[in-house]
Amino acid sequence: MPPRDASRQKSAAVIALLIANSLALASLLIMLSSGLALIYGLRDVINFGHGAIYMLGAYIGYTIALVGGFWLALFLVPILLALLGIVFEYLALRPLQRRTHIEVALVTLGLGIILGQIIIFFYGGEARSVDAPKILSGSITVLNLSYPVYRLFLIVMGLGSCALLALWLRCTPSGLYVRAVSQDPSVARMMGINADRLSLLVTSLSTAFAGIAGVLAGPYLSIDPGMDITMIVNCLIIVVIGGTGSIGGAIVAALLFGLVQVAGSVFLPNLASLVPYILLMIVLLIAPGGIGRGRVLS
Amino acid sequence: MTGDLQRTATGAPGGQLSRISLVLSGGAIALVAGALVPTYLAGDFVLRLGSEGLLLGMLALSVAFMMNQAGLVALGAASIYGGAGYLFAIGMSDGGLTPAVALCVGFLVIVAYAAVLGALIVRTNPLAFMMLTLAAGEMISHAVLLEGLRDYTGGADGLVVRMNGSILGIDVAEFADPARFWSLAWIVTVLVGLAFWSLGRSRLGAILRAVRENEERMRFSGFNTFVPRLVAYVLVNAVAAIAGFLHVLNAGFVSPESLGLSVSTNALVAALMGGIAGSLGPILGGLIFSFAQDEFGARGLTQLLTGVAIVLFIVVFPRGVVGGVSSALRRFGSRREMS
Repeated sequence: MPPRDASRQKSAAVIALLIANSLALASLLIMLSSGLALIYGLRDVINFGHGAIYMLGAYIGYTIALVGGFWLALFLVPILLALLGIVFEYLALRPLQRRTHIEVALVTLGLGIILGQIIIFFYGGEARSVDAPKILSGSITVLNLSYPVYRLFLIVMGLGSCALLALWLRCTPSGLYVRAVSQDPSVARMMGINADRLSLLVTSLSTAFAGIAGVLAGPYLSIDPGMDITMIVNCLIIVVIGGTGSIGGAIVAALLFGLVQVAGSVFLPNLASLVPYILLMIVLLIAPGGIGRGRVLS
Repeated sequence: MTGDLQRTATGAPGGQLSRISLVLSGGAIALVAGALVPTYLAGDFVLRLGSEGLLLGMLALSVAFMMNQAGLVALGAASIYGGAGYLFAIGMSDGGLTPAVALCVGFLVIVAYAAVLGALIVRTNPLAFMMLTLAAGEMISHAVLLEGLRDYTGGADGLVVRMNGSILGIDVAEFADPARFWSLAWIVTVLVGLAFWSLGRSRLGAILRAVRENEERMRFSGFNTFVPRLVAYVLVNAVAAIAGFLHVLNAGFVSPESLGLSVSTNALVAALMGGIAGSLGPILGGLIFSFAQDEFGARGLTQLLTGVAIVLFIVVFPRGVVGGVSSALRRFGSRREMS
């Protein structure tokens, strides 16, 4: 084989790995930031405690995985966190409906800090890790490239949840109502849509997704006390880049974020941790409102 | 943005002059008495806690001013506070500057940074502003830990500042003395408080509040809604930078913890605790926070209590200690008049 061909093949392999890695990271980010965008669409509130909910999902997932294995954790954690979402809706979002959005956002920030501290109180400060189940550990070879199975699983989960979300919003009555309320809450209410009931559904869905993301993060990233802040900051960047409240925008922004983050760690290892912020500044400079236009997948 | 959080004292037009002179003379007495009396009464430990509280109060003042006047919540106060310390430390140690020059250079860098960042983010809506200040703060704390800057910032270990030289005739080493530092911190804090109080009453304050209520209408009425908010953003960051400089002069070292999100949320809690309307509340809030942290922080509860305090003060006492006490006094006063 001539050397030119070999180097071309090598760069193609690097690009393929880059895209796969960024898709894997983006999958987690999509699950979290679309949940944020859903709540924002319905309630005009950004849940600053979303990172702590994700962290709770990761730690509970860790405990359940120790006892009953990874699959049980992936099944139970979303259910438990959906229940937490219902509690959150009844105890925080509903009583504060008449407060300003900023005040509610600050309350969620406070609740997030409390939740994070409670988790640290029970689990201590050291990092934990979860082993992937046997089927998903190791790597497989696709087109002469070996790639970890778990990351492929992440990509499938991320893209799958994207597709399910889009199907739900486009093709079901409750999805239609969600889109209607986020487009114009008062008109939607006049048409007889019960925004409170929808909000219950959306909040529990959003926390359940955060739980899935937390369990999935276990074998992929480490589980440590700083994960809530790292993740909420990433998600906030994505939500701003995507145009606050736009789910389509959030998905595109998460893909972009994943690509930039992974490419940054490969090509600019010294500046990798700053690359997302540079992306944010550039987007703000060009399009202060973010890249997405509609509110919720219009 | 309306609601109990945003209650600005506008004052009756008739009593304004007497009220201003009352505040100014009260401020002058507080300035002298507060700077001197505690140094005779309190021990070094209490003075140190008090000084910390004053610095936190200054940060809280800047957070509260932005919240109250512009309806914008900044979660990035720590990046300016700690960033100022880092700039001073780097200027002194690596730049070999004299303290006064290091302060001036650091201050200019921070003002420039705040102006550029502000120009990008004050145009967005209040929720996005809150998210962006949080992101910008995290950016600074990541930047300090960058491997390539380790020689300058000391990475996770922080930096010990080489303290020699003098500022305005005061030897730098004297800033470490608790009693003297208390006096200095007190004077600066009271002056900043008075400055914010008068800014709130100025044309700038009026425009900011009008923009807060309805930005679109102000724009249609021919007002520039961007520049006033940018000016306010740069001003509050300048105050945060002053607090940061005072902190590093006193402590003699900087660490990545001073850039952490917890410093920003502490300032927010101090502001909410004291009450964001006016200048008295945030300063008092900072002092309360500092002494409360000493009481509970040893048991590792500070962060938990910070979270609880945010929720409690927004949900139950949205006007803070000062707002609550003043409205209780007013109610008490009016009841007496009636009987």
